[in-house]
Amino acid sequence: MSSSNQFILDNPPTDAISALKFSPEADSTRIVVASWDKNVYLYDLRDENGTVGEGKLLQTFEHRAPVLDVCFGNTENEIYTAGLDWDVRKIDINTGQQTVLSSHEAGVRNVVYSREHQIIISGSWDSTLHIHRTDAGTNTESQPVVVPLPSKPFSISLTSTKLVVAMASRSLEIYDLKALAVLTAQADSTSTNGNRVEVEPWQRRESSLKFMTRCVACMPGDTGYASSSIEGRVAVEWFDPSPESQARKYAFKCHRQTSEDGVDVVYPVNALAFHPVHGSFASGGGDGVVALWDGIAKRRIRQYQKYPSSISSVDFSSSGKYLAIAVSPGFEDGKDEVAEGVVKIFVRELSETEAKGKGAK
Amino acid sequence: MVKKRRGPSLDELLARPWCYYCERDFDDLKILTLHQKAKHFKCERCGRRLNTAGGLSVHMSQVHKEQLTEIENALPNRVGLDVEIFGMEGIPDDVLQAHHQRVATQFQQAETERQAATGNPPSGASAGGQPAAKKPKLEASSDLKKRLAEHRARRAEGAAGGSSGDATPVGAGQTPGQTPPVSTPTPTPGAYEQSPTASTPATLPTIPVPAPAQQYSYPQPYGGVLAAAPPPQLPYQQPPNLGYPPFSPATAQPVPGVPAYPPAGYPPQPFPGQPGYGAPSPYTPQQHTPTESITPRSGSLPAPSGLPQRPSFGAPSVNAQQMQQMHMGHLPPHPTAAPGYSNGETAQVPPPATDTQSGAAKEAEKPTDGTEKPSKKEKSKPTRMIYSDETTSPEEKMARLARYAFARERFQAETTLGELQGSAVTGTIRDQDTVVDPAH
Repeated sequence: MSSSNQFILDNPPTDAISALKFSPEADSTRIVVASWDKNVYLYDLRDENGTVGEGKLLQTFEHRAPVLDVCFGNTENEIYTAGLDWDVRKIDINTGQQTVLSSHEAGVRNVVYSREHQIIISGSWDSTLHIHRTDAGTNTESQPVVVPLPSKPFSISLTSTKLVVAMASRSLEIYDLKALAVLTAQADSTSTNGNRVEVEPWQRRESSLKFMTRCVACMPGDTGYASSSIEGRVAVEWFDPSPESQARKYAFKCHRQTSEDGVDVVYPVNALAFHPVHGSFASGGGDGVVALWDGIAKRRIRQYQKYPSSISSVDFSSSGKYLAIAVSPGFEDGKDEVAEGVVKIFVRELSETEAKGKGAK
Repeated sequence: MVKKRRGPSLDELLARPWCYYCERDFDDLKILTLHQKAKHFKCERCGRRLNTAGGLSVHMSQVHKEQLTEIENALPNRVGLDVEIFGMEGIPDDVLQAHHQRVATQFQQAETERQAATGNPPSGASAGGQPAAKKPKLEASSDLKKRLAEHRARRAEGAAGGSSGDATPVGAGQTPGQTPPVSTPTPTPGAYEQSPTASTPATLPTIPVPAPAQQYSYPQPYGGVLAAAPPPQLPYQQPPNLGYPPFSPATAQPVPGVPAYPPAGYPPQPFPGQPGYGAPSPYTPQQHTPTESITPRSGSLPAPSGLPQRPSFGAPSVNAQQMQQMHMGHLPPHPTAAPGYSNGETAQVPPPATDTQSGAAKEAEKPTDGTEKPSKKEKSKPTRMIYSDETTSPEEKMARLARYAFARERFQAETTLGELQGSAVTGTIRDQDTVVDPAH
């Protein structure tokens, strides 16, 4: 039964997948995928006739180095990529033209685009955020603002008003996007010495989890976020700093398996994504399991049968009708190389209620 | 009184309703059907719970225009729709048998482990009589004769195994894992060597393999014990010895007194021969269980040999398990290996014994209030993290791999690696505006 509404995309990347994102445009079924094979892949789940089936590869965009993140821009026709070559790029899908927005001083792990504020934010292992205007790269006047961070950012996520940056050392900062946008606009006019600007975040937090943060994802309602760690745990918390709201936060264990000798094997939770309609969220772990959770009722909605390798990324389509799951071998302790494993993209067609919480019991 | 404290008896375990699809067992049938409706017969689309796979299939096709292809949450080899299951009804006989075997072997295993841990005698036979209940199959006397004949033939070949007969009383020297329980009640070598074979139906060709191995191992311990054991036995063995010509080759062995022993009370049929021990009733074929073998033995055997044997008796229960398996027609891959699933289930399916554990693990997966509860549970279980580096993310590690290396032109000499390390320095920012859960 579970296989009847799930399919595998043809022509998957040839190496591990670093990121997978659905187009934010309503009812779109386009997916961009960034891979360690130095390419960005653009798929559409619909074929020429508009029927959703196997899905097909529309285009690939080659980079100089492995690509670590990708996101859609203002329209479905532009994407931003971040990679191990330290560059943040904009790619025009129609022309295939690549424009370097800025260069970090280390690999760039994340890139996100804020529609509401028309800025592109990239996070790099050089412990900075670069905030670009959409005309960056083409307009020499448009220089990115460089925001120094206390630690290396590992994952960033945004809502319509806030930017959550999860970093090493279990630190986490929440920025007000509006402030960043204003800053970026100002920085343009007074473009001097690299635009390094110390920005006071709206909030600084310590992770609720005791281990390295793996992923952070914001709730669609702009009310809070979920974060996951390498130690099979997910925390859910709210932006509202009031004691009442903060008291609501919680964490739970997941993505663990009891091995034959009774040892609890704990997998990293690599991926989180919120359902745009129901507000539930999906988690993907190193154990190859994807689970759907109701963050409000604190209940697991469902768990899908194990995928062949670690889950590196998950995302819901903007309509909430599809859940794409990137399966790639993950990096494990005590191994010099990435384990052998399949690289595949599974797409689940969700039923109306599949990702909907059942309500508190 | 003591037996009360021991867990459920095998009968009770076997009587538990269990789910065909996931091999989970339940307290009663009602819960089982509820489980099946919730786990296996629930429509993924609308959440409706049907009573059977067929019902779900019809529902899927009529309501959702979809074809049901497999049962959700089922073991890999049980996903099929071809069997109509409702509660315990409809389970194919072979699967049912396999399940019973599994439960039984698991029970034996647990029993053995418990014995090993506590040093207590096995509770099974004497206390609840469960294993005995599981062994309705008796050796027909013709079988026994046949085995004896086989044995004699084998023996005639002059194998060292001849001494095994004597070894029976001397069993103290045997290593626990080697003695099938059957051997204990039957003092004759013939019964001993062949019992495994005979107890297994002819349909199980693999069983005989362990049997020879056991025979073979037998002489060795025997040799070791000889020195101590023979004297007490001598008087015992003498009279019957005379009446038993077929075993005369055995007498030719280095130990004069001992070989005589087995032939002793040993007419062609092993069991009838046992009465020579003076404890006839315990030796009826049903009593293959170790416990019983203890009683008659300690009573019948001369004290010196009886005492040293004791320690070894705790262990032979392992054999009881083997024995069980043989009787059940179960094929143990290795005589002492954990039974596990024989149906090809994958590793991800925990064996039933650990079912409760995994159930608990599942429980733990549910979001819980606050972080307190998880941490409590955490302490109870050893954990192993797949990735435990606290400062470097997996992606950074991957980026350091040679095949992903990328050197920017302006830092020709420097690889990404160098950069990454430089940026690893981090500061704490816990003061000020930090919002921290008070519970933490």
